[in-house]
Amino acid sequence: MSRMIEAEKLTKDYGGGRGVFDLSFAVEKGEVMGFLGPNGAGKTTTIRQMMGFIRPDQGSVRIGGRDCFAHAAQIQRELGYLPGEPAFMEDMTGEAFLHFLAKMKGISDFGRARELMERFELDGSARIKRMSKGTKQKVAIVAAFMGGPELLILDEPTSGLDPLMQNRFIDLVLGEKQRGATILMSSHIFEEVERTCDRTVIIREGRIAAVERLEKLKKTKRKLFSVQFERPQDAAAFAASWQKGARQQGDTVQAAVTGSPDAFLKAVSAYSVRDIDLHRETLEELFLHFYGGEANDQ
Amino acid sequence: MINKTLFAREVRSSYKLLLIFLAVLALYGSMIVVMFDPKLGDSLNLMAESMPQLFAAFGMLDVGATLTQFIVNYLYGFLLIAFPLVFIVLLSNRLVARYVDRGSMAYLLATPNRRGRLARTQALVLLLACLCMVLWMTGLCWALSSALFPGELDTGRFLAVNAALYALLIFLSGVCFCASCCCNDTRWSCGIGAGAGIAFLLIQMISQAGEKFEGLKYIDPLTLFAPKELVAGESWPIWGALALAVSGLALMGAGIVAFSRRDLPV
Repeated sequence: MSRMIEAEKLTKDYGGGRGVFDLSFAVEKGEVMGFLGPNGAGKTTTIRQMMGFIRPDQGSVRIGGRDCFAHAAQIQRELGYLPGEPAFMEDMTGEAFLHFLAKMKGISDFGRARELMERFELDGSARIKRMSKGTKQKVAIVAAFMGGPELLILDEPTSGLDPLMQNRFIDLVLGEKQRGATILMSSHIFEEVERTCDRTVIIREGRIAAVERLEKLKKTKRKLFSVQFERPQDAAAFAASWQKGARQQGDTVQAAVTGSPDAFLKAVSAYSVRDIDLHRETLEELFLHFYGGEANDQ
Repeated sequence: MINKTLFAREVRSSYKLLLIFLAVLALYGSMIVVMFDPKLGDSLNLMAESMPQLFAAFGMLDVGATLTQFIVNYLYGFLLIAFPLVFIVLLSNRLVARYVDRGSMAYLLATPNRRGRLARTQALVLLLACLCMVLWMTGLCWALSSALFPGELDTGRFLAVNAALYALLIFLSGVCFCASCCCNDTRWSCGIGAGAGIAFLLIQMISQAGEKFEGLKYIDPLTLFAPKELVAGESWPIWGALALAVSGLALMGAGIVAFSRRDLPV
């Protein structure tokens, strides 16, 4: 496998601790890489440097071996981009904009764009100015994918989409992956990352926190159970026997379970249970748990 | 050198703005030409003598006896600088700074076009729009003059004046386009372009109004545009116009280079 994106000690300092510092990581050809981190961690700043919008202060980022600032125009031939906050030519209709962009990008076949518009139920006849956030996001998705590029850089691609469309998006990404496209995708939605990504880069405060295979993240992902027992004394007894950070409050016990819930469920089933609730950890909670040490582990 | 798709889009999105300005200019232009009357000139001269400084400020003091002088005094002294200036400020801002400010520049940059090529396309749109304006006014004044006062217009010198006007508009375009290329914010882009243009106009008005401030004209690039002297047959305004055009193009080039090299917050 050869490298599609290669960041080497990439630094862009905006002062006051804002920016990205000393980022080094690579995305292999054909790989789907998640790009994760809390808001303001520097994901978009990194992506802007890949797109050649801004120049690194130090270090470099290369796509297909070419410097992203100096050779931005050549790189764009095989790149589909979805901005974090898409801004279009508001005076155009959705379809006119997509046609315009296709021509600008030298995409002669508009069939793929039509297919994508149907897939996401996008009505392109309205002026972009009048479109809702979700509809604009669909325009952005079609714009990024319509050329069938080798590389896709997607910054929060499903923000504003409803769950149905989020699912269709995941299928689209999986299809592109099968086609052999390389994808770098920033996201806040675990399911999206979990179902599509091979690896993830996690950044915090502008620095790399980890580059992990997704399986490892999944293993540390916790499920938070909240079990309500018929009798408070059962709750107390269970909390005492289970330990491992179980917290009792009246007839309810909350416990965090990592990995398989099998042992937990078997232990619970020894008592009579009135209700059980499952809360899945969000990506942010997972980061805090994974990299924030035990402080958040109650 | 340029991108045809982008060029077509800009023409489509800006032609209405241009039409509005052409209409307003046509209104003023035709009014002035129709107003010409060798006898009326005398009464206007009387009026000018009663308020010499005000008329001088707008460059309308020596109204002149011929149709050519009349048109040049009333149109080319102020109106045909001020109106195109407003247009140039608006269009320059739309062509670059507004895309950056709104963020849609990201989509233009996400195409296999070098930044220089995008910026050159936009500069060409601006230059051609200004050319349209000059050709429109030239044609209009010439047609009206030939219809109403056949043989009165000194066509050769009138064309020279219009060529010089185009040179001036290239210069103003250069200032505004350069500002548009360098600014992330439309307020700054408009502010610098309009501010510079208005300052040039004000300095010109003040320097024309009285001898006390006459020296100010040496710091004002508008002085290089001298339609009256051109009509009078002097030759230095040709070099002045040339200087305006060249420095305007140089400013545009500088803007394009700055745009190609700088960080864009999109």
